[in-house]
Amino acid sequence: MSAARISMADWLRGSAVYRSIVRHGTADTNRNRSLVIFENLFLHVHPVKVREKTLRFSHTYWLGGVTLVSCLVLIATGILLMFYYHPSVPQAYRDMKELNYVVDNGLFLRNLHRWAAHLMVFAAFLHMLRVFYHRAYRPPRQFNWVVGIVLLIVTLFLSYTGYLLPWDQLAFWGVSVGTNMAKEAPLVGEKIRFLLLGGNVVSENALLRFYVLHCVVLPVALLLFLSVHIWRIRKDGGVQGPPTDADDPRQEEAE
Amino acid sequence: MSEESERRESPGPAGTSRRDFLTRIGGGACAVAGAGSLVVTLDFLKPKVLFEPPTVFRAGSAVDYPEGTVRFNREQRAYVIGGGGGVFALSAVCTHLGCITRYLSDERAIACPCHGSRFDLEGNVVHGPAPRPLPWLEVTADAAGNLVVDSSIIIPHGKVTRA
Amino acid sequence: MSPSPELHVVESTDPLAVPRRVALVRPDTRPAVRRSDERYVMTFPHLIVREVILFQVVVIALSLAAFVFDAPLEGIANPIETPNPAKAPWYFLGLQELLHYFPPIVAGVLLPGLVVLSLAVIPYARINLTAGPLWSPGGRRLALALAAVTAALFILFGAFGCWPIAVPTLLTAGAMFAARGGAEGGRLRRALARVTLPEWIMTWFVVIATLLTVIGTFFRGPGWTLVWPWSGPI
Repeated sequence: MSAARISMADWLRGSAVYRSIVRHGTADTNRNRSLVIFENLFLHVHPVKVREKTLRFSHTYWLGGVTLVSCLVLIATGILLMFYYHPSVPQAYRDMKELNYVVDNGLFLRNLHRWAAHLMVFAAFLHMLRVFYHRAYRPPRQFNWVVGIVLLIVTLFLSYTGYLLPWDQLAFWGVSVGTNMAKEAPLVGEKIRFLLLGGNVVSENALLRFYVLHCVVLPVALLLFLSVHIWRIRKDGGVQGPPTDADDPRQEEAE
Repeated sequence: MSEESERRESPGPAGTSRRDFLTRIGGGACAVAGAGSLVVTLDFLKPKVLFEPPTVFRAGSAVDYPEGTVRFNREQRAYVIGGGGGVFALSAVCTHLGCITRYLSDERAIACPCHGSRFDLEGNVVHGPAPRPLPWLEVTADAAGNLVVDSSIIIPHGKVTRA
Repeated sequence: MSPSPELHVVESTDPLAVPRRVALVRPDTRPAVRRSDERYVMTFPHLIVREVILFQVVVIALSLAAFVFDAPLEGIANPIETPNPAKAPWYFLGLQELLHYFPPIVAGVLLPGLVVLSLAVIPYARINLTAGPLWSPGGRRLALALAAVTAALFILFGAFGCWPIAVPTLLTAGAMFAARGGAEGGRLRRALARVTLPEWIMTWFVVIATLLTVIGTFFRGPGWTLVWPWSGPI
C-alpha cells in the first residue's frame, strides 16, 4: 500500500507534464531547495537563503505577515461577495439580507470579510509600531517606511469605502460624518466631497462611487504599493529586527 | 565623452543644442497632455444632473404658528418656528458634521446626537463643537398667509417673516 | 568612518568598453553587505514552512471569529433619521472623539494631517537615526525646554477641555523627568533612561490615540455623553 503510493508519487514526478511545470526534483538537496525558490514566480521575492535570526518570533512578531494574510482573505471573500451585490439603492441593502439569510454560507463570508478587514487595520497599526520601536526605518529602509505609511492610508480608505456598501444606518451615518469632515479642508474640501459623493448628499451616486473605489481603484493601488513594499524588503537586505549593538551608528562612528 | 558625441551635442546659436530643444518640446507636450487628461477626467467625474429631493416645501398657514411653536419637517430637515412676532425656518442639519438634530421640547433646545452640540431656538450655538449657528432658511407667505420654505436659500439671522 | 580614497570617475559611451567594478562599502550601507559572518538557512523549507503555518493560523482564527460573531447590520439607511449615537468604525472613533473637543478644521484636517506628515518624515529626521538617550549629564536646558513644552501643550489642550490628551501629556512628561539620571536608579528607571526622544513622542501619541479610541468606543452614549460601557448596548 505504502510502496504503491510512493511509486504513484514517483510516477507523477517523473511524468512529462509534471517535469514541464516543475523542472527540479524533490527538495532533498540544497541545489533543489534553491530551485524551489528561484524557479517559482511567487516565491522568488525571497532570497535562496535567509539570515537565521530573522526567523525568530521576536524579530518581527510576523505582524506584516498577518496583515498580508488578512489582505489575501479579504480579496478572496470580497470577490465572492461581489457575485451577489448590486451597488444601488435599495437593492444593496436587500442583497445584505439575502447574503445573511438566503445564500448558503453568505453570512459566514460576510463575517469573514468584516473581521479580516478589522484585523488588517489593527495588524497594520501594530506592524508600524513594531518597525518604529525596532528602528527598522533607518537607512537604507527610509523609503520603504514611507511606502508603508501610504499602504496604511490606502488600507484605511479601503476599510472606510467598504463601510458604506451595506447601505444600513451605520454605513450611511458613518460616511455622512466622515465626508463632512473632508468639507472642512480649506479651499478644496467642498469640491473633493462633491467629487467623492457625486452630489451634495450621500446618495445612490455616492454608493456607486464608493463601490468602484472599494472594488477596483483602491485594491489596485494597494497591490501596486504592496509589491513595491515587499520587493524593497528583499532589496534592503531582508526584514530588520530589533536594533543590535552592531548596527548602532554611535559605535560605528567610534570605529 | 568621444569626439563624435561632442560634435553631435554642440550648442546651437541660442546656447541650446537641437537635442535639448527637442527634448524640451517633447517633455512639454507630455506635461500638457497629462494636465489636459487630468482636467478632462475631473470634469467627467463631476455629475451634471443631480436627482436630489426638491428644496421647496409648503409649511401650512401662518396662523398655525403661535409664538413658541416648533414644528420639525423630517423630509426637508428643517424646523419651522413661530417666534419674534412671525415665522422663521431653521435648517435641522448640524453645522458641525451634518447629523440631523432633534428638538427637545422639555428643554426647549435643539441637540445634535453625533457630537453633542446644542443650539437654542434661534439656531445659536449654546455649547458643543458646532462652529456656526444653524442657518435660517427663506420663508415666504402669500396673501392668504400660506407659507413656503426654500431650504436652498439661506437668509440673514433674525429675519422673521410676518404674514 | 575612514576617509574614502580619491576616485576618478570616467563615463564611457562606448558599448564595447570593459567596465571596471568598484564597490564602496560605507557603514550606513545595506546590512546584507556588512555582515557576512551570520548564520544563514535555506529559505525552503525553513521560511516557507513558517509562512504557511502563519497563513493557516490567521485563516483559522478568522474563520472561528466569523463562526462565532456576526457582522453588524442595522436597518436600511434613512437620511432623515440620525441614530443616537452615530458612531464611525472603531479606527475612526479616536478622530470622532477629537471632533467633540475641537472645531472640524482642527480635528478633522489639521491634526490628522500633522500625524501623517510626522509619521512620513520619521526616517529622514537625524534625531531618529542617531537615537541617543534623552538625557545627557546635566541637561538643564533640556529640562527647561521640556517643562515649557509640556506646560504649553497642557494649557492648550486643557483650554479646549480635552483631558484625554492633556492628562497623558503630563504623565509622559513625568515619566521623562523620572528618567533623568535614571542610569544609577532601579531597574525601571534604568530602562526609562534608555528611551530616546522619538520613542517618548511616539509612546505619547500611541497612549493618546488608544485612550481616545477606547473612550469613543466604550464610554460614549446618546448625545455623545459619557456613559459606562455596561449601562447600555454599544
